[in-house]
Amino acid sequence: MKSKRYRDPVVEAYMPGVDRTLLRENLKLTCEDRARKHSRALDMVLELRRAGRAIRERNRANERRS
Amino acid sequence: MSADLEQVIPPLVEAAIDFILIGGKAAILLGSARVTFDTDIVYDRSKANLEKISRLLKPLSPYLRGAPPGLPFVLDVPTLRNGLNFTLTTRLGDLDLLGEVTGGGTYKQLLPRTFVVEAFGVKFRCVDLPTLIKLKRAAGRPKDLESIAELEALLEETSRQQPGN
Repeated sequence: MKSKRYRDPVVEAYMPGVDRTLLRENLKLTCEDRARKHSRALDMVLELRRAGRAIRERNRANERRS
Repeated sequence: MSADLEQVIPPLVEAAIDFILIGGKAAILLGSARVTFDTDIVYDRSKANLEKISRLLKPLSPYLRGAPPGLPFVLDVPTLRNGLNFTLTTRLGDLDLLGEVTGGGTYKQLLPRTFVVEAFGVKFRCVDLPTLIKLKRAAGRPKDLESIAELEALLEETSRQQPGN
């Protein structure tokens, strides 16, 4: 008989929120493809961060001028 | 600066450094869909390995991440020998060098719980999924709870895909 693996109740509470469709798609890929896919996502996150920083700086500059 | 695995791993392998990939980047290779920034490796503390790490990283401007600029930090063998875990920025990206990891121990202790990954034209060791979950749990950081849930789901999905299940 298989024993059920112990899971922290807090972790258990997060489980329904996990998007398994993303995991299943990733599991179809090779390790290298998973790394490349992550790299593209990371580039996008960094670009969004950069854009957000630029907007905040522009807003601050506008506030100082007004 | 983030660390792209494709940039970080091949130089480590080509320098014949003994290391194991752990943390968020290991989770990515295991199928995680979360975005992570730094690269965490557990490195062997042998003198020869410390020399190789120092030789590779020294020209890549390693510096303590988050530390004020201008500290007299040099990543040489005595620094590596006198320290244990280093969170670094380098020209290759953010790199965490861990001599020992909570829940997993040293490089040699962790070695049986790894598998070989072939990617980017090189072969290297990555911690296995059950051990990665164990390490995340042992770290006890609230920010890891969601990621542990994802890894547990990955473990279920992986075993579901294995023949006989």
